Amino acid sequence: MSAQALESDRATNAVGGVPEAGPFDAWLPASAPATGEPGWLTAARTAATERVRTQGVPTGKSEGWRYTGLRALLEQGFTPVDEPLDAMLREDLDDLLVPGLDAHRVVVVNGSFAPHLSDLDDLPKGLRIGGLRATLAEDPDALADDLARIAGDGAHVFASLNTAGMGDGVVLLADRGALVEKPVELLHLSVGMDEPKVAQPRHVIRLGDGARVTLIERWASLGDALYCNNAVLEIGLGRDAVLAHRRVQLESPSAFHLSGVYLRQGAGSRYDGINVGLGGRWARTDLVVRFAGEHAECDLSGLYLAGDKQLIDYHLDVQHGLPRCTSRENFKGIVHGKGKAVFDGLVYVAKDAQQTDAAMSNRNLLLSQGAEVDTKPRLEIYADDVKCSHGTTVGQIEPEMLFYLRSRGIPEGLARRMLCLGFAGEIINALGNEALAGYVSEAVGGRLQAAPL
Amino acid sequence: MSATPQDLPGQPVAEQRSGASRKAAETEAEYGHLVKSEYEHGFVTEIESDTLPPGLDESVIATISRRKGEPQWMLDWRLAAYAKWLEMPTPQWAAVHYAPIDFQAISYFSAPKKKELKSLDEVDPVLLETYEKLGIPIEEQKALAGVAVDAVFDSVSVATTFREKLAEAGVIFCSISEAVQEYPELVQKYIGSVVPPTDNFYAGLNSAVFTDGTFVYVPKHTRCPMELSTYFRINEAKTGQFERTLIVADEGSYVSYLEGCTAPQRDENQLHAAVVELIAMDNAEIKYSTVQNWYPGDEEGRGGIYNFVTKRGDCRGANSKISWTQVETGSAITWKYPSCILRGDHSVGEFYSVAVTKGRQQADTGTKMIHLGKHTRSTIVSKGISAQHGIQSYRGLVRIAGKAEGARNHTQCDSLLIGDKCAANTFPYIEVKNPTAKMEHEATTSKISDDQLFYCRSRGLSEEDAVSMIVNGFCKEVFNELPMEFAVEAQKLLSISLEGAVG
Repeated sequence: MSAQALESDRATNAVGGVPEAGPFDAWLPASAPATGEPGWLTAARTAATERVRTQGVPTGKSEGWRYTGLRALLEQGFTPVDEPLDAMLREDLDDLLVPGLDAHRVVVVNGSFAPHLSDLDDLPKGLRIGGLRATLAEDPDALADDLARIAGDGAHVFASLNTAGMGDGVVLLADRGALVEKPVELLHLSVGMDEPKVAQPRHVIRLGDGARVTLIERWASLGDALYCNNAVLEIGLGRDAVLAHRRVQLESPSAFHLSGVYLRQGAGSRYDGINVGLGGRWARTDLVVRFAGEHAECDLSGLYLAGDKQLIDYHLDVQHGLPRCTSRENFKGIVHGKGKAVFDGLVYVAKDAQQTDAAMSNRNLLLSQGAEVDTKPRLEIYADDVKCSHGTTVGQIEPEMLFYLRSRGIPEGLARRMLCLGFAGEIINALGNEALAGYVSEAVGGRLQAAPL
Repeated sequence: MSATPQDLPGQPVAEQRSGASRKAAETEAEYGHLVKSEYEHGFVTEIESDTLPPGLDESVIATISRRKGEPQWMLDWRLAAYAKWLEMPTPQWAAVHYAPIDFQAISYFSAPKKKELKSLDEVDPVLLETYEKLGIPIEEQKALAGVAVDAVFDSVSVATTFREKLAEAGVIFCSISEAVQEYPELVQKYIGSVVPPTDNFYAGLNSAVFTDGTFVYVPKHTRCPMELSTYFRINEAKTGQFERTLIVADEGSYVSYLEGCTAPQRDENQLHAAVVELIAMDNAEIKYSTVQNWYPGDEEGRGGIYNFVTKRGDCRGANSKISWTQVETGSAITWKYPSCILRGDHSVGEFYSVAVTKGRQQADTGTKMIHLGKHTRSTIVSKGISAQHGIQSYRGLVRIAGKAEGARNHTQCDSLLIGDKCAANTFPYIEVKNPTAKMEHEATTSKISDDQLFYCRSRGLSEEDAVSMIVNGFCKEVFNELPMEFAVEAQKLLSISLEGAVG
């Protein structure tokens, strides 16, 4: 969300002074926060509640929600998850795991950290992983610099809702110089309840100077239940820290998914994020990057597959407030059936942020009549010594390529799938982890198999 | 470069020089004088005018309509537009900043007193002198260039040439007030059919109060024998200009229309809210070229024209084509989006633009390509150059509707930044609902590289010539689309505006 977009959100919604009963009132916590919560957090919650009340619901006229309708989401009447689900057993996870993936596993069930399902026994020195609630109980001020600070006040209404209603989540702290070899897997597991529930996990990832971590974040569900996730991740990277972040969203076909990744990068740090969006009926992801030091690098790439009646929306907001930082965005999408994909990428280069190097690319394959792509790659540049570019394409499978494969005796359906997989391959191969790449590749292949191509 | 007033470097720079911008400050000290060329066409002609007092209400609109001797339907249309306009909010979305406009402080009618001239000899000599200063060769063009000029001085046409020759071909080329009188059925049929009065705030205002403009009708299977051209000039202080242009190209016809503007130096901001409507029927082609060089305000942004224009073309027929080419160097604020509605199958829309912002100029410009018909094609090439404190945004929409089988779009928008206080934004909106569509968009932002400069200088070119050459090369794709006479003028304008301003 750019500052500009937020202004417009507010302008259209903050009407009058007295807030009426808002559609998000049910999402807000009914009772006062647990005792023992640090004062700064209570203050942040109160401010966020206030913002939710004044901002109201974004409409089609709000710049950030122009193509992403909220009606379906609001119609469900979600209420917050009230109590943690303890009934899950380790065996229940078996079907959801990535075959062959060797990782430290941390599991979140319906928004709450589930220690009994997690696998955190042999964490290397310098790496600490725990629940948000437990961490705050142990040391109330441990996260004072990060929690609700990285996302800041400028975030959109769902991030404010998360702040106001945050219950639990995961805290990952890597000490200065910690080199974590095995990836850390953060698995979000959603289980449908009798009533439509919204889970609002809040995660804090902090890497000390020079630390290196690979984080695999996955979203999965048991069955095709209806539920909503509204997650916020706040990531702080110290000087020269390196985080490889893999996000695989495979929510249930009826689910609503909202997630915001808020990133603060120290000098010389490197963030390498890959987003794979396949699941959910309606999914919106915000990736917000701010640089806190020079020579930082940020690499955001993504692959999304929007099938029939599915909406997948990625909003990127990269702000170059300091000189000599680099950012790359590379998102590819495949849309079929009556699917709809939205891409909005903003690169903002502030005055004096000289020698910024930013490139953005968004390429889309439209496979059927009725599919829709709305893309909005934006550049706002207030410095002159910069290298900025963006490119966007929307098209269908090249008939020449199809003809080539068919002339080799490959049936049309298979040929189209092969070409789609080839198109997606660039991102899948970049995942870097063989087990994960295989898993994603299979999921994409399965989806294409099911699609009437 | 001939017009650069000072050759002394080191104009005092008021801003504090922070460490980070020291380089730019040095650059400014070195080359700043080169971009500070004063507005060439800044002078005021004193001529008696018949001006209405400032203010706007129904009676003002009735007066305008009566003075122009309009039929009742025109007045009704204006009043309906006015009623709608009153309900419309002022648009806020563009990335431009200006003080709110007091629409009651504007005089909505101003016409040179002398009328009904039979030849140019009867035109006020002061006026003719003004045109000469501007380099509009009315006399010359009669004999040489074959360009018919419908010169607009403030709001009423005072000189029209080559009417007869055009009439022979059956082409109607006259001021819109005349057209309302002489061809009411054509005007009534087409006016507002592309840009309805309810389209946007400024189009609504224009519909209510437009005083003059141009009407062109090219009949079936006719190729307009010459390039049509209108020079606009804003003259009367505190006068908003509300031009309305309507061009209809009937089946199988072709017309090329040139629009060029200059305005004298003023301290009050002047509002210009024009509406241009183009209609192309089956197999027709309209080429619309603009060179806009209105007064941009002084170095602090005082004065200068507010240029809020609605331009839209409707490719109504199959195989029709509408091409917009614009070179925008003037105006304090430019806010225009020449658009194409590609309704007919196989119709083609084009948009070529060079926009320059310097000083405190702001420009929010771009285009909309709405693909509705099958196999429609559009091309967008936008080149933005921003220097000093200029702010420039490309804002464009490409919409490919579900039924637009095989639609094709290519968009390219490049920005060149000169100095570290200017800005260049790109806001493309791309909406595709058809899988057979092919759509590409690319954008780059950069400065003139030291390597390029060094190369040219090592070949013995002066700094100014090198920059001029590089900038001209940057814009060449667009200049190539301009008719010959305009291309020369545009290049000269660009050189005067920017030569030597290296960042």
